Amino acid sequence: MTKNSDFPDFDYMTPSDFEKYLPDFFANGDGHVSTDPRLQTFLKNNPDCAALVRDLEAIADQARKLFEPTYEPSDAVWSNIQKKMKL
Amino acid sequence: MDVPGLQMTETKAVPGLFKRNPPIAGEAEAIEAAKNGDAEAFSKLYALHKRRVYTLCLRMLGNVSEAEDMTQDAFLHLFRKIGSFRGESAFSTWLHRLTVNLVLMHLRKKGLNLVSLEETINPSEEDAPKRDFGSRDLQLTGSVDRVALERAVASLPPGYRMVFVLHDVEGFEHNEIATMLECSTGNSKSQLHKARLKLRDLLRQPEPLTTQTTGLKETAV
Repeated sequence: MTKNSDFPDFDYMTPSDFEKYLPDFFANGDGHVSTDPRLQTFLKNNPDCAALVRDLEAIADQARKLFEPTYEPSDAVWSNIQKKMKL
Repeated sequence: MDVPGLQMTETKAVPGLFKRNPPIAGEAEAIEAAKNGDAEAFSKLYALHKRRVYTLCLRMLGNVSEAEDMTQDAFLHLFRKIGSFRGESAFSTWLHRLTVNLVLMHLRKKGLNLVSLEETINPSEEDAPKRDFGSRDLQLTGSVDRVALERAVASLPPGYRMVFVLHDVEGFEHNEIATMLECSTGNSKSQLHKARLKLRDLLRQPEPLTTQTTGLKETAV
């Protein structure tokens, strides 16, 4: 876990600082930056950054739903497996 | 025959992992029977997991033929190695890890150096995500369409796609991805962030994506 001391002051950091540290903000905790209490003031004062966070969270949330399988292999795959299992 | 570099050991069970990969009815019995050489039980395991394994391969490789070959290899390895599954993690997690390692070995054999993602499979300037926050009127509406996201993921540069699929879709942690890709944890975090930014760019351009063909054939589910 990255320590708070590794980051700039949360309330007074610039959007550029925020962008630099955003991968770490996402990697810490539950991955939801928008609910991180340390960042509430900054996000309220920087709506474009808040919008970026919302978009990236929406992408990550939808990505989890892609875990459910979508595609199916052709029947030839199982036929080949069966042949090779018998060798 | 053992495949060099193929990690077949189970990692320590992570709390919450079974929430994402809950046990499937009849799976435990099929695993035990398959360990004893029951071909019918192995057939059941294939039926239960073929779509997830194939979808994972297809997303990592972006190519139907290679994805089918790797699916075949993954289940043949499973057939030989199922005796080493001890149930410390969800079976599907273990099978997916086996599959990911096989795909990565395949890519390395093809000459794709995964050691330094930033130097080898980082996208060109035009593929890289834009560095601006974007004006608010272009933001996503808070929801992302599954089909549009699937297409956008398929069009990501390989390095971005690999880390995005492993982390955001498959649920691997950055330290696990770093081990699998032989890169640093920081590199994995950075690649994931760039992938999400690139996806945001792609999803804010609906027209080209809706007409784009991804080469991925969706099954009726």
